[in-house]
Amino acid sequence: MSAESPPRPPESVLQRRLALGDLLDLQTFGELAKGFADLYKVGVKVFDERGNRLADIKVGNGDFCGYVFSFAEGRRCCTATVARVKEGPVSLVQNAVPPQMPPGIPLRGMVTVPCFTGLRYLVLPILWEGDALGRVVFGPFTPEDLGDLPASLTDLTPGIDIALAQRHLAKIRRAPEQTVAKVMLHFAELLEALVAAGQKTYLTSQVHIEATLESNRDLEAQNRKLEALNVRLKEMDRLKSSFLATVSHELRTPLTSIIGYSEMLSEGLVGPLNPEQTDYVRTIMDKGDTLLKLISSILDISQIEAGKVRLTFDGVLVSDVVTSALSSVKPQAQKKGLVVDVKLPPRAVEARADREKLRQVVVNLLSNAVKFTPKGGWVQVVLTDVQAQAELGGTTGYRIVVQDSGVGIPQDQQDKVFQSFYQVDNSSTREFGGAGLGLAIVKSYVEGHGGVVKVTSEVGRGSRFEVVLPAKPPAPGSVISPPVSDGGLPPPDRF
Amino acid sequence: MQLNHAQRELTVKVVYYGPGLSGKTTNLQLIHARTQTEGRGKLLTVETHDDRTLFFDLLPVFFHTKGGYTVKVKMFTVPGQVIHNATRRVVLQNADAVAFIADSRRSANADNNAYWANLHENMRENGLDAAQVPIVIQFNKRDLPDTKTDEELEETRIKGKEPVIGAVAIRGEGVLETMFAVIQLAYRKMDEQAGLARNLGLSEAGFLAQVFDRIDTSGTQVAGWLEQLQKEDE
Repeated sequence: MSAESPPRPPESVLQRRLALGDLLDLQTFGELAKGFADLYKVGVKVFDERGNRLADIKVGNGDFCGYVFSFAEGRRCCTATVARVKEGPVSLVQNAVPPQMPPGIPLRGMVTVPCFTGLRYLVLPILWEGDALGRVVFGPFTPEDLGDLPASLTDLTPGIDIALAQRHLAKIRRAPEQTVAKVMLHFAELLEALVAAGQKTYLTSQVHIEATLESNRDLEAQNRKLEALNVRLKEMDRLKSSFLATVSHELRTPLTSIIGYSEMLSEGLVGPLNPEQTDYVRTIMDKGDTLLKLISSILDISQIEAGKVRLTFDGVLVSDVVTSALSSVKPQAQKKGLVVDVKLPPRAVEARADREKLRQVVVNLLSNAVKFTPKGGWVQVVLTDVQAQAELGGTTGYRIVVQDSGVGIPQDQQDKVFQSFYQVDNSSTREFGGAGLGLAIVKSYVEGHGGVVKVTSEVGRGSRFEVVLPAKPPAPGSVISPPVSDGGLPPPDRF
Repeated sequence: MQLNHAQRELTVKVVYYGPGLSGKTTNLQLIHARTQTEGRGKLLTVETHDDRTLFFDLLPVFFHTKGGYTVKVKMFTVPGQVIHNATRRVVLQNADAVAFIADSRRSANADNNAYWANLHENMRENGLDAAQVPIVIQFNKRDLPDTKTDEELEETRIKGKEPVIGAVAIRGEGVLETMFAVIQLAYRKMDEQAGLARNLGLSEAGFLAQVFDRIDTSGTQVAGWLEQLQKEDE
């Protein structure tokens, strides 16, 4: 299957290294950070491992830092400190010192980064499954023990207004370092919970998508297999029909000779026969005839199925066709003592049709009626005038109705009788012979004329077959297709 | 195996596979409970209300080597229900080794076989060569009635090359042993491919010792196995 499947995306989310931004709902996280900053009056910044800012809430330091920034050296040192905090290693190098915390509290890798102004930052790595996914920065805050502005600031900013700077500084949160550190550890715990929830949501939703794509890939592969199989089956079915047509044809030729020679024998053309011999030869002829009809039906249906039948439309007197068909079944009907009734309209019905095929339609329906009607019953054939027909969408046409008082067809089988080789009674001990092809041929020929055939029947009361045909069939000479009993093929693509 | 020299990171993927309700999640839960928090991530698990795995479970354990590499062993479970085959296939992608969790009961034989076949089919679909991906078989639920005898397990063992380990995962028996065996085989395969001993200075004994460094191995055979490996290494 894999050879036929489209390539899948190269890497599952389960193999990818995830960024902090993937694992957090950034809006919720931003609100959480803001809540912390508002509550504890300290700035909160969060960066992912590439230095992208995921949260940045400033509290109180704007005026002081802005003032310091207005001095050239102040600007340089400030930029360096910010860079150190944001991008420098979260470890005790480059100026960083351990936070002032009572022993025994796990620090989770937190470090303190002092600012040249005397303020401080706390930096905490965000660790997840052994990876550093980013960092949290708290600050700047004023350590509780900061007195005068340190020389590291005043030396670099000649002319600084100490009183003004102190006023600005007073707006920045002054707190013991361990207080800020504890708040930060609490923040880290919440962040971890958010990342855990975020990871779960992110991975499961992504895996769900991948699994759906995977199922889809599977189904597409199955579909391709089935399509290929279907093409093969259709081809085999066509070959089967073609084979049947050839075999039937080959069978018919010698059979015609058998019947012909038997006929000559029975007529005494090569010398007289005694009564017993005549009887035997007639039996050969009768059985030969039955066999010939069967082979002819098989040949017809196989040609229909192989798509080899073309209808040739001509002007036809339908009344004549009906009469002629009737005459060919009359002998059997008489033998069974059936009453045969024919009702023709006063005016001759003229239409375009394939004379031979139309005749066969009527013959097939009549022979069925005769075959399935027990002794003493009746068979009737009715032909109507040409008039508008609802079944044909209102176009003009005529009806041929063949009904009988025979055994009837059970309701649930009335759709199936038009399928090739279908027998209502298919047991080995069935009463009525035949290959189950007559009605399949009828349906194909009627539909080839652009008409419809319907059946109504009641078991034990008889059957009524109604053929509705247009006076002018649509596509003359079209190839007719085998009867289809399912919902039919889907419409072809339109766009 | 994902070996990233730039980020100095080695990620190993172990997949717990097997029929539904055979105890895959239970294995991971036990490992999680026995591992100190510094050595593992959180156990990610998504279950339905009736304790069926919906997508997968994930438990990463990790350590840092002296050479500065971070080694992560990510253990996944697949969902066992038949309908989740596509998810199983996604989770199985790029597995370095598989722990096949079978149910020891005789009545589960057909299911075990079906999932064994399913594992191989999904490996093929994922482009994994079944001959190249080591598998360890755990016969779980040894405490239940109708369980196979030790002789029957032995018969299963000699039928193939996969190590077979008996277990009662819910009581922790055989869980770390299975984890040890599957990671050991994964290591050997990765060492063959990437020369872990040569290039990262990670010997088999060293690798396993560090994986289990933060795991409580008391009452299991793993402590003894680690010791023996260490001796052989010296």
